[in-house]
Amino acid sequence: MDSITTTLDAVCLASQLILENGGETYRAEETVERMCQGLGIPRVDVMALPTGLMLTLTLEEDNTLTRLVRVHSRSIDLNRIDECNNISRKVASGNMTADEALKALRRIKQPRKEKRFLLIAASAVTAASFTVMLGGGWTDFGVSFFCGALVQWVLTPLGKMKIPPLISSMIAGALTTLLALLGTLIVDSVNIEPVISGAIMPLLPGLATTNAMRDTIRGDLVSGGARLGEAILSVMMLAAGIGLTLSMWGGGLR
Amino acid sequence: MSWWVQLIACGIAAASFSVLLREPRNTIPVSSLVSIVGYSVFLLLGQSTLAYFLASLLIGLSCELAARLMKRAATLFVTGAIVPLVPGVGLYRTMRFVVDGEYSLAVQTGAATLLGICGIAMAITISSVIFSSFWHPNRKKRGASC
Repeated sequence: MDSITTTLDAVCLASQLILENGGETYRAEETVERMCQGLGIPRVDVMALPTGLMLTLTLEEDNTLTRLVRVHSRSIDLNRIDECNNISRKVASGNMTADEALKALRRIKQPRKEKRFLLIAASAVTAASFTVMLGGGWTDFGVSFFCGALVQWVLTPLGKMKIPPLISSMIAGALTTLLALLGTLIVDSVNIEPVISGAIMPLLPGLATTNAMRDTIRGDLVSGGARLGEAILSVMMLAAGIGLTLSMWGGGLR
Repeated sequence: MSWWVQLIACGIAAASFSVLLREPRNTIPVSSLVSIVGYSVFLLLGQSTLAYFLASLLIGLSCELAARLMKRAATLFVTGAIVPLVPGVGLYRTMRFVVDGEYSLAVQTGAATLLGICGIAMAITISSVIFSSFWHPNRKKRGASC
């Protein structure tokens, strides 16, 4: 039998990882409940929020353990969510002890060697393909490819410098628009609408919105509302970045 | 650009966006395929608010089904597959009209964009509810509701 601290550690880490990497709140709660069931904890009360997590394990009548975990940074890494899910499934079915789970979860938490080039390439291809999808031609494809690559190239260091995500989404919007407008100076035939719309598609908070809806519908009203607010704000900041650049360009920047 | 180039571009875009979200490797082809089907339905239905809703419903349901079959979280599939439907053009046009001072057009476009987003959100919600309420492959395990 594992010690109770190990169990608590493992459970906390699992749901913290889910919250930090873009999982829904109800998933974080369910993971805790399922893992505790598998580990033989009689009763657990858990409350997860996008910004933190509280849980109390009740072992006996007067023996409870409570822990509060704060979630500071949120990014998107669906692979980690998938791995956490696998571990929680194994623990829930009794195929893994708390000790093993903790070790595996720590391994997931470790910062990975990000293939930065791969991410930049993915961003460029995404932006360029969306431009073609929205009716752009091959010159638009080229400009948008460049936009996507540069935005991703700029966003990574911004994230490391702890710039708030809302600000960096505004910067990304402004940068995309500026690049597309500069593109029209170089090549006359660039059609600006598909370029900008295509290049901002990967920047829109799709995951936050779907998560907000999924949370709300399951009754996690606080988390759903918070996430929805985050998504709306981030779209507004993106739009502000685009609008600002467009109006400055129209007002004499050219 | 002819329609098939657009559809191929849609598939590539969805796949590379999934890479950007760091999806596990074997869910990426599924998202890509679902997004192509969803986007072609969207184009066939004429890009109205109803088209947003129905196409997203199709995407949501197929992703939830895929999630059950592959025993993975539905988020992994939905996030990549739904992106092509997100109305980026609407957002851009709205901002363009605001900047040009065409406020009535801006409100019009903005409202249409917002309705599209609402349609997508409703569809995703409904498909998720349908599956979590009616699909219980193994009632004993609470883990079934992925």
